[in-house]
Amino acid sequence: MTELVRLDNLWKVYYVGTTSVPALRGVSLTIREGEYVAVMGPSGSGKSTLLNVLGCLDRPTGGHYWLGDRDVSLLSDNQLSDVRNERIGFVFQSFNLIQQLTILQNIEVPLFYQGLPRRERHPWSRRLAEMVGLGDRMHHRPRELSGGQQQRVAIARALANDPLILLADEPTGNLDTATSTEILALFDELHSRGRTIIMVTHEEHVAAHTQRTIRLRDGGIESDVHKGAEARA
Amino acid sequence: MKAVHKAADIIGLGLHSLVVHLGRSALTALGIVFAVWSVIAMLAINEGFSYEAQQALRELGSDNIIIESAKPPDMESKASQDSGGILRYGLLHADVRRLRGNVPGIRRCVTVHRTIKYGYRPGRNLRVSVIATEPTYADVARIETTRGRFLSAADLIRQKAHCVITESLARRLFPVEDPLGKTLRLGEEPFTVIGVLAKLPPALAGEGGEMGSHVIIPITSGKMRFGEYTIMFGTGGGTAELVEVSQIILQMDDEKAVLHGANISRHLIGRFHEQEDYEIKVPLELIEQQKKQRRLWNIMFLTIASISLVVGGIGIMNIMLASVTERTREIGVRRALGAKRRDIVTQFLVESVTLTTVGGLIGIGIGLLVPSLVEWMLKLRTIVSAATLLLPLGMAIAVGLVAGLYPAFRAARLDPIVALRHE
Repeated sequence: MTELVRLDNLWKVYYVGTTSVPALRGVSLTIREGEYVAVMGPSGSGKSTLLNVLGCLDRPTGGHYWLGDRDVSLLSDNQLSDVRNERIGFVFQSFNLIQQLTILQNIEVPLFYQGLPRRERHPWSRRLAEMVGLGDRMHHRPRELSGGQQQRVAIARALANDPLILLADEPTGNLDTATSTEILALFDELHSRGRTIIMVTHEEHVAAHTQRTIRLRDGGIESDVHKGAEARA
Repeated sequence: MKAVHKAADIIGLGLHSLVVHLGRSALTALGIVFAVWSVIAMLAINEGFSYEAQQALRELGSDNIIIESAKPPDMESKASQDSGGILRYGLLHADVRRLRGNVPGIRRCVTVHRTIKYGYRPGRNLRVSVIATEPTYADVARIETTRGRFLSAADLIRQKAHCVITESLARRLFPVEDPLGKTLRLGEEPFTVIGVLAKLPPALAGEGGEMGSHVIIPITSGKMRFGEYTIMFGTGGGTAELVEVSQIILQMDDEKAVLHGANISRHLIGRFHEQEDYEIKVPLELIEQQKKQRRLWNIMFLTIASISLVVGGIGIMNIMLASVTERTREIGVRRALGAKRRDIVTQFLVESVTLTTVGGLIGIGIGLLVPSLVEWMLKLRTIVSAATLLLPLGMAIAVGLVAGLYPAFRAARLDPIVALRHE
């Protein structure tokens, strides 16, 4: 399996006034294609920061980050936009759909910024809507949908650009248990089709769906457990 | 190709959010609508006014220098004491000779003597303005006879009792018969009508008598039959005025000669007249002045317009800032999904420019309506030119661009991480 993500002694330091607050202290890890990874840790452990850096929303203060074949730790704002646009899919806790757009238009947003003409966007986004089971709701607005349905739209949107990695930030945090199970099933299905997924969560039962759990504490990796290895041990 | 699609899509995005907030957009654009239509109306009225003024000056002839006798305001009391009640003022035959002899570039020099007489026909009479002049008057005043002929050199030399009348006078005095060859009595003297004119330019010929009527006779015949005195009967006896020449019209070779000739004429006449009993009108100079004045007013109106556009622009900026704050989360999402800073800038700029452009277009619509209303209600002439319409529109578009810049850049500068967490 090829390496998709490689972090090499990654530091992220925030400066508040004159004091510096390190959020990540030399994190190194690799994630291979097709892995399903959970990132866990108490609040303040640096998991949000790690997700922001992985998602190219934030630049590391030190160290290197290879995403696919490219070192993205030193890119400009514009280049990072392109990387996010082409290589990363985001799923947020609060769905973050654009309210005045229809479901179909929401799914198309990443393609829109790729400059894909409408003719080419439509068939693809239709297929994605159907894939997440919302083929009959394509022209509705987000607020007409239930939370679970909205999260499905968000997942379809995250897949629109066929990303290298799918980043999910507490994707079931705003959902009830039954809906959470549906959404997690969808992630499982994506994983079984070979999608690389990195999911931040603080719930053990969510992490149980993944193959590998990385626990952070105080900006460093506390443990990194592969389920297969655990079983073997 | 991709960039084109993307640009078109982002423009579509800006338009889309305007349609979504239609009511708010309409209210915001209202300021621009008002600014644009009011400036169009003001410019149209100014253009119409100055066109009329220029037209009147053109009737005087831009190659002419017109020198007229004018009664000095303080003359009445002074002259009655020392000259036995005769008011003597104005241009002299000597002035005509001096001008002819000294002003270079004269093509024609026409002398006019004007009086008011009663014109009689059996059963009818009315006050007419009698213009005693030379045959070349037709050339400098640019008039043509519609029937018969104008005065000839022979009429002048032989002091013929011939006259040319205006169409309106002909209709009044000769309602059924053909006026040509008929006799018209001016005061005590009979004159034969030899021609009829459509109209005399009032700027040159004066207002005329009743109904704007004019009668043109040879200046020699006028001098012989009526003399140069004008006797007026007022309360407590009469006064007499002696004006040798009412008007001198110098037609010049070209425009350069006009300006030069005007200066020489001023000196030449000024030297021999102790009082201000004459007036020199140079249509060319007046046209230039009128043009300057028109420009000045246009600039003033545009200045007022820019103030109201700026006020409208502040409204636009305000609403755009509110829109950016309201949509912070959306901006964060778009940035996370790959929108570049400049995509965000474009999206918001399109929105503000569209607001002002649509406002401007509606303003043009109303601006086209208002001048016709003014024309109809106030009987003023208005002129709406392409520039009158496009200039305010261009200004409105520029205002949209300027007012949108700050909110757009503020939106683009948002940190995507912070924007995504915005509640």
